[in-house]
Amino acid sequence: MLGKGGKRKFDEHEDGLEGKVVSPTDGPSKVSYTLQRQTIFNISLMKLYNHRPLTEPSLQKTVLINNMLRRIQEELKQEGSLRPVFMTASQPADPLSDNFREAQPAFSHLTSQPLLPTDFVSTTPLESCLTPASLLEDDTFCTSPTVQHDGPTKPPPPALQPVKDSFSSALDEIEELCPAPTSAEAVAVETAADDSKDHLSESNVQKPEGLPESRTAESKLMDSLPGNFEITTSTGFLTDLTLDDILFADIDTSMYDFDPCTSATGAASKMAPVSADELLKTLAPYSSQPVTPNQPFKMDLTELDHIMEVLVGS
Amino acid sequence: FLGAGGGNDIQWCFSQVKGAVDDDVAEADIISTVEFNHSGELLATGDKGGRVVIFQQEQENKTQSHSRGEYNVYSTFQSHEPEFDYLKSLEIEEKINKIRWLPQKNAAQFLLSTNDKTIKLWKISERDKRPEGYNLKEEDGRYRDPTTVTTLRVPVFRPMDLMVEASPRRIFANAHTYHINSISINSDYETYLSADDLRINLWHLEITDRSFNIVDIKPANMEELTEVITAAEFHPNSCNTFVYSSSKGTIRLCDMRASALCDRHSKLFEEPEDPSNRSFFSEIISSISDVKFSHSGRYMMTRDYLSVKIWDLNMENRPVETYQVHEYLRSKLCSLYENDCIFDKFECCWNGSDRQVEFFSIIVMTGSYNNFFRMFDRNTKRDITLEASRENNKPRTVLKPRKVCASGKRKKDEISVDSLDFNKKILHTAWHPKENIIAVATTNNLYIFQDKMN
Repeated sequence: MLGKGGKRKFDEHEDGLEGKVVSPTDGPSKVSYTLQRQTIFNISLMKLYNHRPLTEPSLQKTVLINNMLRRIQEELKQEGSLRPVFMTASQPADPLSDNFREAQPAFSHLTSQPLLPTDFVSTTPLESCLTPASLLEDDTFCTSPTVQHDGPTKPPPPALQPVKDSFSSALDEIEELCPAPTSAEAVAVETAADDSKDHLSESNVQKPEGLPESRTAESKLMDSLPGNFEITTSTGFLTDLTLDDILFADIDTSMYDFDPCTSATGAASKMAPVSADELLKTLAPYSSQPVTPNQPFKMDLTELDHIMEVLVGS
Repeated sequence: FLGAGGGNDIQWCFSQVKGAVDDDVAEADIISTVEFNHSGELLATGDKGGRVVIFQQEQENKTQSHSRGEYNVYSTFQSHEPEFDYLKSLEIEEKINKIRWLPQKNAAQFLLSTNDKTIKLWKISERDKRPEGYNLKEEDGRYRDPTTVTTLRVPVFRPMDLMVEASPRRIFANAHTYHINSISINSDYETYLSADDLRINLWHLEITDRSFNIVDIKPANMEELTEVITAAEFHPNSCNTFVYSSSKGTIRLCDMRASALCDRHSKLFEEPEDPSNRSFFSEIISSISDVKFSHSGRYMMTRDYLSVKIWDLNMENRPVETYQVHEYLRSKLCSLYENDCIFDKFECCWNGSDRQVEFFSIIVMTGSYNNFFRMFDRNTKRDITLEASRENNKPRTVLKPRKVCASGKRKKDEISVDSLDFNKKILHTAWHPKENIIAVATTNNLYIFQDKMN
């Protein structure tokens, strides 16, 4: 657990993401912890996927970046905000390739390097819980959900307007059902995603196919994995779960309720075309999941078709 | 500070600078390794263009007692050429990663130089005489008409202008799937090791068609890979002992007598993480970029991103000394991650062996950004920051200590963290084995500093 001692001052003069480590146990800096984490996650993904060297990339660098991504991923998973809907790239069998590919599931190997305690259980009192989300309900920027969703969606391209509507209607549905912290968390992630989008927009001149950096981690992975594995021969990443695991595991999809909205509209200007297959695969689990009290979100297949039509057919 | 004068403090003075003056750095000129030979008479540099340049120290002029001999170019040769790996459709860089000298056994000098994939043994020999007076050949090499030969004579050697020739005597290739980061010659002077990201191989200097694999950390499933080898070195005295460091901040000491494959370490050196310093970047900054045994072999030094640590081989759980190189960067790690500076591999070195008496009078040196380099004196417990810059280029001018202002009011002559030039990094430094002469490589220039002699 990150020590409670030595509370660090957040240096106003520095870039908001700099300054010392922001402990998630600090008050309002929990948000900046999330922001920092999200930014680091984005940067890490960019490093892996933007790299088009003529020479082989450094294995050490790749390993360190991958470890970083996995750590953040594990952290998010523990917080319940990152659910295993990661795409598994159908990796080409490459017996000749001795190149490094990112790890298979088994989060067990991550326990050696926890940044946060691994004992995140719901019985933990809210105050000592390190999940930024659960403490964000006190934050003032958690305004009404509909307003929030409008924010990041500017400017939505005309083609996607119908999508947005159906999404936001679905979202409205969710918000009635979801507990406040979840929506606050989603809002925070969205906001973080947008901030990081702004932060990174100028540095992201060259993009690999299918990787808009404004998305949150989850949607990024959904979109970018299948295509990129073909190209980046030595930096495969995030093949965390097989499709079977996804399909037959219980999934808390509450976070994902908000992500499609953000990604579909807020990042519209930078979004690369998502193939129908990819979208279908990522969204399929939702439709096959039994609805539990904590997972009220359902997406009709008809809505799915509609979305796909819009995204792909237009 | 060192350099404040008095006592045993060294006062470092500018001596020479080699390399292009203009700010526009040609990629091929980027210096990638610096190494003195065992006597200190020769100083070798390798660059990104695959070339090796060797400087030789002038013999001390007895009348000029105020300075030691200057280093002048002795030999330049193309060690490695770029290659293309057709299997992976990737270029193999010709950049020289490491140079290691062999101890001199005869008139010729030998060194090992390596790029990412291939190690070469080079022989550097002098030719200052040539045979003259052949019977069948003219001096220019043309053959004489045998019928014109009326007398016979014995060819004799006559002096000629010194010519230094470098020739590759051995090529050790095709033994590394990953990028070679270290080579180290054994104290038996017959074998050496080469280490890449996942494996360490043992070679015999005479045999090029095979090597023994002594460490292999490649997992069966590459997707489980989380740690790589970053540096390796043989013990200076025990020919069966070597260490290798990892990207997770650990150092493993292995004994080759224990088994053929030294996957199980004899000792594991690791310092527990300071929880108050933990951040997203803890692992990355703990990655060890260099490991060097002390000349006695009792200690070893490791360099990670922010610090230099000295370890006693008898104590595995923590270093005996930790020196902060540029702690002010700790708050900048996110930016340094973004611009990749956090992956810079700084080297470190000990002062000369003759000067070290066990743990006393040890000084270690390492580089930093803004063309700064740092020295830590174990004896006086003092440290100093100096700058390698052409501005201080008057010989025998004592270098002025530099100071970085981490935060708050910047004093006169201090430089603030935000003004540091992260493109000007000193990754490679070397210390003369016997004298207080140091070689410091900036991006494309080589600086030589000496202590002020009276």
